[in-house]
Amino acid sequence: MLRHVSGDLYQIGESVSGHDGWHEAVRVYVLLNDGVPLVFDAGSHIHSTQIMTDLSSLLGETPPAYVFLTHTELPHTGNLSSILKKWPDTKLVVSSGILPHVEMPWWIDKDIISYGYAGTNEVYGGRAISFLDGILKDQPGTHWMFDEVTGTLFTADAMGYLYPQSADLLFDDELDDGIEMSWLSRYHESAFRFLPYVVYDKMMADFAKLYDKRDIKIMAPTHGNAIRGDMAVFKTRFATMMKGLCR
Amino acid sequence: MNVKIYGAADSRVGVRQITPQIYWICHCIGHNAAHYNGGFAAEFAKQNPLLDPEASDIIYNAFLFVDEKTFLIDTLGPKQHETLLAAVSDILDGRSLDYLWISHTELPHAANTASLKRLYPDLEVLTVDGHDHYEVHGLGDAKLLNYGDQISLGEHQIEIIKPLFVDHALTQWLYEHKTGFLCPVDWALNLHNEHQCFHFMDEMEEKGYSDERFAEEVATTNQTVFGWLRWADGEETTQRIDDFFARYDIKIFAPSHTNVIRKDIPKYQAALRRAMALAVSRAYDLEV
Repeated sequence: MLRHVSGDLYQIGESVSGHDGWHEAVRVYVLLNDGVPLVFDAGSHIHSTQIMTDLSSLLGETPPAYVFLTHTELPHTGNLSSILKKWPDTKLVVSSGILPHVEMPWWIDKDIISYGYAGTNEVYGGRAISFLDGILKDQPGTHWMFDEVTGTLFTADAMGYLYPQSADLLFDDELDDGIEMSWLSRYHESAFRFLPYVVYDKMMADFAKLYDKRDIKIMAPTHGNAIRGDMAVFKTRFATMMKGLCR
Repeated sequence: MNVKIYGAADSRVGVRQITPQIYWICHCIGHNAAHYNGGFAAEFAKQNPLLDPEASDIIYNAFLFVDEKTFLIDTLGPKQHETLLAAVSDILDGRSLDYLWISHTELPHAANTASLKRLYPDLEVLTVDGHDHYEVHGLGDAKLLNYGDQISLGEHQIEIIKPLFVDHALTQWLYEHKTGFLCPVDWALNLHNEHQCFHFMDEMEEKGYSDERFAEEVATTNQTVFGWLRWADGEETTQRIDDFFARYDIKIFAPSHTNVIRKDIPKYQAALRRAMALAVSRAYDLEV
């Protein structure tokens, strides 16, 4: 489902429903970028039809210039074949921490792949994108990316949440009480099973460094909707939730 | 060294026998590995000058048990789909593959699941329980296993065990009771140079490798593999390792990204303990 987030940032992608009724989003984000679109993650292969319909509706005749992959798991790359089949000139940008010959589909030409290095900024279609180490990640070759124009941090698997069906298409500022802490907790407890071995204060020191450096206005998790409301409230809620999961 | 090799470079796979019924199916690049790895492995040597700057190759392992039932651990990555299938087919020599166990859903471990299912239509795919949304990982029809579940292959008894160190949430480890075979999946991870491909660890030692180097490599690589170690508690980490080694009688240490260790296990267990203590305690900055 195509939704406008803020500025030239759009969200598409679908969700999957679990046995107990909780939903998990599998999102794709698009920066229109004055006719040189930048796409963040490719979405799941099981949602290809809807993703491609929404991408085509959003972009019209304009092909995506770049697809940035946060990491290479199938929920993030499974729809690559449909994107590259429709728009074969689209380039891929991946983390310098991944090895294409074991992590990318075998049929992808290595010449269309370029690498993002944590701690650097690069310009794509006239727009600067910053690459960061993924602070909270489940795959080593995960990086986060930041778009200064919209203040969007693309957080891959972090900052996701599981939610009831009624919240499937709603942003945090469209919900009565934002993203509930229990939704965040249910997701992070399942997605990052090392958290019981993590000392809370050590981890949050890394988040504090990030928050000091970046003026984050929007969090864009793959497994949740974009968080665009009161960022201070969200950060506090996220920290409180983490305190419950860590040592 | 008796190794059968399929393909070359990024598709290359070598097969060695660990025991008469357990096969090591290993992908590594060999010559010019630094080119294919994009300098990724060389970054480790930059971080730690004690590492071999020529050791720029990384191992990706699958393991095949051939008993009354046949059981494959992981599938290697997308570029190895043809060589992996050829190696498995040759080892099975006309038999079918009964089980495929996916340690976790990352592509270097699970990418060729669909190809194997097409080749062996009766194949039962096994993976870790505790999640709902397996269809997005291409494992929608897998049988889900919990810690303690056992699979009898005939002489071999596979047990699914709780991992000490996880990156991906959907990760299990595996222990086989007859042989003391442990697959700790992503734990460990050492590097090798082009003269050490497809070597058991005891054979690596004949080419200049040592448990000291192993400890330094694992300390460095595991800070990347398990990024959360920077937030862990050192004493608790080593205690968990000690408890684990006391519980399992390990005779074959067979991770996904390490040369198989079949001799001097206590020496390498001690190296692993030192490595993880170093990985937790060594400071490094994140680029945020």
